[in-house]
Order: sequence, then C-alpha cells, then structure tokens
Amino acid sequence: MTRALVTAELRRLAATRLWWVGLLVAVGFGGGLTGALALTGPEHFTPPMPGLHTATGVRLVLGMLGFTAFVPAALGTLAMTTEYRYRTVDVTFLFVPARGRVVVAKLVAYTVAGLAYGATLAVTAGLGLYGGAAARGVPLGLSASVVAGLLARIGVAMAVYTVLGVAVGALLRNQILALAVVVGYLYAGETLLMIIPGVNTLYPVLPGGALSALTGFHYVADAVAQQVPTGGIRLLPPTTGALLLLGYAAVAATVAVLAPLRRDVR
Amino acid sequence: MTGTTIEATALTKRYGHVTAVRDLTFSVRPGAVTGFLGPNGAGKTTTLRMILGLVTPTAGTVTIGGRPYRALDRPTSVVGAAFTPGAFHPGHTARRHLGVYAAMGGYPARRVGDLLDLLELTGAADRRIGTYSTGMRQRLALATALLGDPSVLLLDEPGNGLDPAGAAWLRALLRRLADEGRTVLVSSHVLGEVRQIADDVLVLHRGRLVAAGPWAELAGPLAVVVGTPDAPALARLLTAHALTVTPDGPHHLRVRGADAARIADLAAADGVRVHELRTEPADLERLFLDLTAEEAA
Ligand SMILES: Nc1ncnc2c1ncn2[C@@H]1O[C@H](COP(=O)(O)OP(=O)(O)OP(=O)(O)O)[C@@H](O)[C@H]1O
Ligand SMILES: [Mg+2]
Repeated sequence: MTRALVTAELRRLAATRLWWVGLLVAVGFGGGLTGALALTGPEHFTPPMPGLHTATGVRLVLGMLGFTAFVPAALGTLAMTTEYRYRTVDVTFLFVPARGRVVVAKLVAYTVAGLAYGATLAVTAGLGLYGGAAARGVPLGLSASVVAGLLARIGVAMAVYTVLGVAVGALLRNQILALAVVVGYLYAGETLLMIIPGVNTLYPVLPGGALSALTGFHYVADAVAQQVPTGGIRLLPPTTGALLLLGYAAVAATVAVLAPLRRDVR
Repeated sequence: MTGTTIEATALTKRYGHVTAVRDLTFSVRPGAVTGFLGPNGAGKTTTLRMILGLVTPTAGTVTIGGRPYRALDRPTSVVGAAFTPGAFHPGHTARRHLGVYAAMGGYPARRVGDLLDLLELTGAADRRIGTYSTGMRQRLALATALLGDPSVLLLDEPGNGLDPAGAAWLRALLRRLADEGRTVLVSSHVLGEVRQIADDVLVLHRGRLVAAGPWAELAGPLAVVVGTPDAPALARLLTAHALTVTPDGPHHLRVRGADAARIADLAAADGVRVHELRTEPADLERLFLDLTAEEAA
C-alpha cells in the first residue's frame, strides 16, 4: 500500500511540467554554471582565486554548486504546498486518511527526484568542469577520483535539501511562505546570520555549514573566520557534515509527518 | 450491492464562537438519493467534511456502515466524495489526475478509461484541466469519486454551474447509482434541483436539522393559498382550528393542515370573505422557506 502511494506521488510529479523545469535547471546550474566558471578560470574572479590547476581552485568551482541548493529545496516545498494551494489535499486525504503516510510517500518520492536532480547536476557539472578546463588547456589540480567523489557528495546533498524542502512545505502549508522561507534562508538568511557576532561561530552546524563540510567548500567559512577575533571557524569533517545534514532532514521530516495529523483540512 | 447506511449522532462542530453544526442526528439510507438542503452557511459542507474525517467533530459521532471514515480499510472503495469546485492541479490532464488517484487507491489502470467514458470526458482526457469548463470539472470530480466503485456517494453542490442539459444528465446518473443500491447524499441550496431527484431530504438551517424524511411526506400536506380582504380575521379563525397559517402578502394566507373545501366551509361558517382559493402543488421551495423562516424568527 505504501508502495502504491509512492508510485502515485511519482506519477503526480511526472504529470506536470515541473520535472522538465527541474531537469533544465539542473543542467543549467550543473553544466552551464560550472562550465562557465571553468572557462573563466578562478584566477579571473573578483577577487582573484587560485586557478583550476590547483586543488583549491577546483574545489572552489565545484563548491559554488552548493549555492544552488536552494533550487531543489524550493522544488521540495511544492510537494505538499501545491496540494494545499489547489485543495487536492482533500482528495488525497480521502484516499489516505492516515495523513502521515501521505507525507512519508512524498518524502520518498522526492528523495528519488532529488537524487535524479543531484545526479543530473553532478554529471553535467563534471562535463562542464572537464570541458572548460580542456578548452583552456589547463590540467586540473585534483585527480578524477577526488572530483568524482566531490560531485557525488554534491549530488547527495541536493537530495537532502529536497527532503528539507518537502518538510518545510508540509509544516507551513502556504506555498509562497514556504518558498520565501526556504529560498530566503538558504540564499540570504544564513549569510546574513554570519554578520551577527557569536551567531557566526555556529556556522559549521547550520545546514549551509554542514553542506559546505560535505562538499569541502571552505570559502564562506574562511570569510566568516576573518571576522571572528578568536580566529578560526572550522568546518566539520565531511562525514559528520553529511550526518548532520541528514539529521536536519530527518528531524524536519519527522515533524512534517506528525504535524498534519490533527489539524482540520479547510 | 449491499447497502451502506450513514449514521450521525449528536454531531456538533464549533469554530470558536461560531457553531457551524449543532447536535445533528440523522441517517441516510441506501438505495435512495437523499437531498441535503439548507441556505448558505447552514453547515452542509461542514457536515460532509465531518462524515469524511476531514474535519474533526467537536462532539458526536458519524459512521459509514458502522465505522468512522478514517477506520475504513480502503475508504475510497466504500465512499466516494466530490466537493465543488473540484480540486485539481490545473497542469494535470484528466487522465493523469485519475491515474494518480487510481494508483493511490490501488485501483487498476483500466478504471481510468472506463470512468472517462462513463463521464463523457474521453475526448478531453489529454487536455490540461486548467482549460476545462465548469461542467467538465464537475464530471471529473465525480469520476474521481467513483474510482473505487463506492457504495456511498457524497456530493457537495454537484449541480452548481451546470446548464439544464448537464443537470438532467447528472440527475439521471445519480438515479441510476441509487437504483443500483448505493447511498447517495447530495447537498444543495437550490431546491428546484433537489426536488427533481431526491427521495429523502434533510433540511439544515443554522447548523440544526429542521426537517428530515421522505420528501413526498414532507412536502405534503399540500398548502392552500387563500385570498381574502380579511386576512387577520381569517388567520385567527384558522389558527384556532389548529391549522398552520403563514401570511403571504397583505391579502393572502398560506394554510397547511386542511384542504380547500374545509377551509372554505370554516370561512363561510364564520362569515369571513374569501376571494380566492387555490391548492398549491407540492412545493418544497415554499416548505423550505417556511421551515427556515420559522427557525430564523
Ligand atoms: N474553517 C472554518 N472556520 C470558521 N468558521 C467556519 C469554517 N468552516 C465553516 N465555518 C462556518 O460554519 C458555518 C457553516 O459553513 P458551511 O460551509 O458548512 O455551510 P454550507 O451549508 O456548506 O454553506 P454554502 O451553501 O454557502 O456552501 C458558516 O457560518 C461558516 O462561516
Ligand atoms: Mg457548502
């Protein structure tokens, strides 16, 4: 029965043009952005950064992909909020009165979709990176296996962010609000928090910090570190970052599954 | 098809200070179309949502075949429900919409094609629902409700926005479903629509049940309209004889509880002038207005 629900949710996802949008965005941010950055070369960024012939340069270009995590998170919020927006949630809860199971099915379906998004992003980013570097004749400063590992981690992180989005949407119900919260927090909020003394030492354990730990992207941490008089903000080890991120998703998902049980559907 | 009865006992729903539904006790029988009537805001939708477990009653219980909706094993195979306006993602096609819910309910994919045929939507099945007319949406909502071939059908204002041909088509469908032994509960605030189809009626006013039963019984005794220049005197006289009298303009009374001959005799015996005497055809609209007016007074 639960499998039937997941199948239904995957069908629902495939029934609109949303998945096309997701695919295009993944290719655009993956191949497009990474390709453009690789073609430009970090040494031509403002301020200039180490080039692609260095390990730092490669990590920097790939780590930029972390900034696009708001996209799968935003797509995730649509899972439940679209149902509230068009009131199909009535019909859905009539088919499945155990409302938590609806949210579980969406979490599973969107994990699959998030992994597909992440895989598309990672594969096209790899192509963009090698293509861009090859076009400029720059040998990469990281081995192919390390690059593949980083890309895989970024791909997985996208799925985790999708799940976070699903959970936030299930809790807030309102589409615009959920989008604003998720995009606002990931895109601007977390960075703004870094300006507040004291709070910025928390960066490593916030979702963005955990993501950076997972993708090995030190840029933000280093920037924050310069403002902290006690010096040094250290990102968590990648595995710990991954676990923390999964923990955020698990907590958010659990609350999301339990939350709709009691409330009346209007 | 074995019959499934809906039983509500002392059903009450309060929203803060607003009591949407108050102490409602009724049952809806299988094999008949039951009209669920009441003016805007009477509590019809709230009651239907409580039957379906979408809204939790403040007090009381409601069961379908003896069990609350949320305790049914495969609820959509027992109860089908449609609200108006129907709830659809405008970007889905009808076929995909039904496909999603067929998968969700575990119903075979061929149900989708069958229902598209039954509801005459096959021609538009692959168009985005956003482009559908009101009547098409109503039919798609019905198709969704019928996916599980349920023995109970709950429809909230299904006639809204239908043209006369569409309304006649809907009546024929509901009649057929009831004749197959299903329990059909149809809410409406339009009496004309219901009187052509309902076997039984439940009349709701301000959250209370003001009438219930076979509509033929409710609508008769027939009303007699009496035209008289001495309306107040005749009203006093007839009321004294235990008849129900409602004024209908300055020179007319609507009388229930006696036929035209008895009313004419009573008036003649007392020397009250009568200028007009006419028996009204059974008029639920009138009854409905009377019932809800009394309650408001
Ligand atoms: N979620 C809610 N919060 C507060 N009040 C509500 C809510 N839902 C319904 N009500 C109130 O309960 C009463 C009954 O509403 P309901 O929608 O059940 O009436 P209805 O008979 O379906 O009316 P209509 O014919 O207009 O559809 C109304 O006064 C309405 O304002
Ligand atoms: Mg209503």
